[in-house]
Amino acid sequence: MLEIFNDLIKEKMYKYEHKSGLNVFVMPKKGFIKQYAIFATHYGSNDREFIIPGESEPTHVPDGIAHFLEHKMFEEESGSIFEEFSKNGASANAYTNFTTTAYLFSCTDNFYSNLRLLLDFVQRPYFTDENVEKEKGIIAQEIRMYDDDPSWRLFFNMLGGLYHVHPVKIDIAGTIESISKIDKDILYKCYNTFYHPSNMVLFVIGDIDVDKVAEIVNDSVKSKKRDGHIKRIYPDEPTKINKNYVEQKMSVSMPLFNIGFKDNDIGYGGKRLLKRDITTQICLEILAGRSSDLYEELYNDGLIDTTFDVEYVGEVDHGYSIIGGQSVDPEAVKKALIAKISSIYKVDDADFYRIKRKLLGRFIKSFNSVESIAHNFISYYMKDINILDFTSVIEDITPDDVLDRFKTYFNEDNCVLSIVKP
Amino acid sequence: MSIIKENIANGIELYVNKLNKFKTVTINIYISNKLSHETAKFALLPSVLRRGSFNFKTYKEITKHLEDLYGAMFAYSIYKKGERQIAQFNMEIVDSTYLKEDILEESVKFISDVLLNPLILNDGFEQSYVQQEKEKQKNLINSRINEKTKYAVERCIEEMCKDEDYSIYELGNVDDVDKIDEKNLYEFYKKAIKRLPIDIFVVGNVDVDKVKEFFNKHFKIERTNVEVIPDTPILRKIDKVKYVEDKLDVTQGKLTLGYRTNVNPWDEEYFPLLILSGVLGGGPFSKLFMNVRERESLAYYAQTRLERFKGLMLVMSGIEIKNYEKALEIIQKQVDEIKSCNISDYEFNSSVKALVSSLNSIKDSGTQLADFYLSQKLSHTDYSIDDFIKKIEKVTINDIVDVSKKLQLDTVYFMTKNEE
Repeated sequence: MLEIFNDLIKEKMYKYEHKSGLNVFVMPKKGFIKQYAIFATHYGSNDREFIIPGESEPTHVPDGIAHFLEHKMFEEESGSIFEEFSKNGASANAYTNFTTTAYLFSCTDNFYSNLRLLLDFVQRPYFTDENVEKEKGIIAQEIRMYDDDPSWRLFFNMLGGLYHVHPVKIDIAGTIESISKIDKDILYKCYNTFYHPSNMVLFVIGDIDVDKVAEIVNDSVKSKKRDGHIKRIYPDEPTKINKNYVEQKMSVSMPLFNIGFKDNDIGYGGKRLLKRDITTQICLEILAGRSSDLYEELYNDGLIDTTFDVEYVGEVDHGYSIIGGQSVDPEAVKKALIAKISSIYKVDDADFYRIKRKLLGRFIKSFNSVESIAHNFISYYMKDINILDFTSVIEDITPDDVLDRFKTYFNEDNCVLSIVKP
Repeated sequence: MSIIKENIANGIELYVNKLNKFKTVTINIYISNKLSHETAKFALLPSVLRRGSFNFKTYKEITKHLEDLYGAMFAYSIYKKGERQIAQFNMEIVDSTYLKEDILEESVKFISDVLLNPLILNDGFEQSYVQQEKEKQKNLINSRINEKTKYAVERCIEEMCKDEDYSIYELGNVDDVDKIDEKNLYEFYKKAIKRLPIDIFVVGNVDVDKVKEFFNKHFKIERTNVEVIPDTPILRKIDKVKYVEDKLDVTQGKLTLGYRTNVNPWDEEYFPLLILSGVLGGGPFSKLFMNVRERESLAYYAQTRLERFKGLMLVMSGIEIKNYEKALEIIQKQVDEIKSCNISDYEFNSSVKALVSSLNSIKDSGTQLADFYLSQKLSHTDYSIDDFIKKIEKVTINDIVDVSKKLQLDTVYFMTKNEE
């Protein structure tokens, strides 16, 4: 068992690889009442086309299938697995995003019994024609809920502007039409391909015993034979954006906007990606964060309000920044932003070190919550990053790195404006 | 867990909870007012104060100072607990264990400066700040419509409590915002800071005496005629159920049912009511989840929410528009099942355990702890979390059936689509 320390935040985690290929991480949190576990597979809505190990022809699957599969995993031959968690006083849940499907529970009691339940149910699919059909009505309502959510539409319209063919532009839950094509055979096929322990990770956190976790993993996780690797097929995405403007009308009180910048510095994970991630966050804070000149100008001009926010999303095979909020004139916001970008020729030391302090403080703070730690851990793990490396990576970043990122990444050619209008 | 309480001035109570497991120290300051024609003004104050103080004159200066304090979080929010409107100022700073310096006193000084030492010119707030924040507040009021799920619940409550102060939106209305200027807002501020109840909660690995010392030193106000916010009226008899429909540009219908619980926040019956709400719609074990979602595939979400301080229970779900009648019938049937004692041991036990677990989880968050203690204070109960859990564990199925008899359906609200 490998011990990983971070002296600055005084946390450690234990790592070990089960013989099935499953990676297990345990982070003890003394004094915390809540316990949390996530069992996740490296499989999300982006995996629309792939070659199953042992086969030679690609398989295409309907959009929304990873999410559909997530819903159906909770069904057991004997009923719903929710029932077993509820009897233990635990709360079970799951989520699917572009790259990951994750099953989780939180509890304050019966942790080891809940952990067994989690490992067992995720390894035990039970799909029938009837239970698959039944789920379509529920997911249809979930899709409708998102269709009526202006922020969600705004976000996907922006992705549609950034990307020509990359699957990230497709809604995670699919459409009512695409999910109608899902049946039990195709669910089993996806399950058998992606829910192999070697494609999965377990993260547990709380005031718990590391050895006892290992014992339960050894008992519960089954080794399965596997010939070769999954080959994921992604279309070739051009570096240029698809459209620089997307607009939709919805029932909102004033225009909402997302300005997206497409990142083409992609194709790697690990510490290098973490460095790109943090460097870009520093850029965004200096450019348009709450202490920036631009924020002050736009705010005083009545062009933005406190909903205005900046974010970078850095994945292995794609990346983008989002600058968004609500505004009476989103075009004017974009114009001011582009003008500001082209006027940046140096990075002020005071700004740079202040933002670094802020990001470091926020990182330390995130270790207050077992949920935040678990979710951040999984999100970074899927990019081959260990969350505890944050402090050493941020320390290495220099003002020159930030300036270089400004020059190479932020420009009008890779920028999309998405608006939802009343 | 021990919490130390001290009166630092007339009507200002400081609570300190020393716990060493957190990475941060949280400071929460709550100022309370009664919902009234002053609501819009009271709601505007925090955002004007956040724009600039005597020592940090602009939003940018304040933000830079917070960033220097290792990204200290400083946020305010306005909400209501019953007919009490609360302005919450939340500050969260990294504990000195993880830094080369201790920033607690600096932080107390900062928060005191923003709240008590505002930027004043000619006996008023800075005019441009007030104007801009008024616009922002009006935009926020108008943009309630954006989040349909939340809006459908707020609209139900609004219609339900039409002739009660509880129907006042926490940010007030646009007309009242329009009447505000830098002078009358400052007049109101002077009165508010002198007379309204203030509660301060500090949670983290702190030296209790130091915390008291810092607040006594920096958080200094002259206080007179401190107001007492009256308890919110709860009991209400319903003669006729109201049916309300809003037509909007949506694809999914949102159905909300508003019930009167007729249970006061301090009543012993509040504990069975909590479990009742759980059995009905508090998780995957609940009647609504099992019937509306799993059995009938009518909805993705179908759940309940209690408003302890107004005696309301809301049932909310998102459905296909054509399924309105069916969903309404099934939801009401679940309530009837509870009234006629059709509660399984599984539903009951799961609901109790889920509640106990979420109560215990409060101990893992400084801000949730502060909110818990504030709620105890407002309900005139002096329970610790463990006391609260003991109360929950004593409840029987019969207690739930008894309290269910007090439930009265008041309003059925439906958000549906525009017919074109």
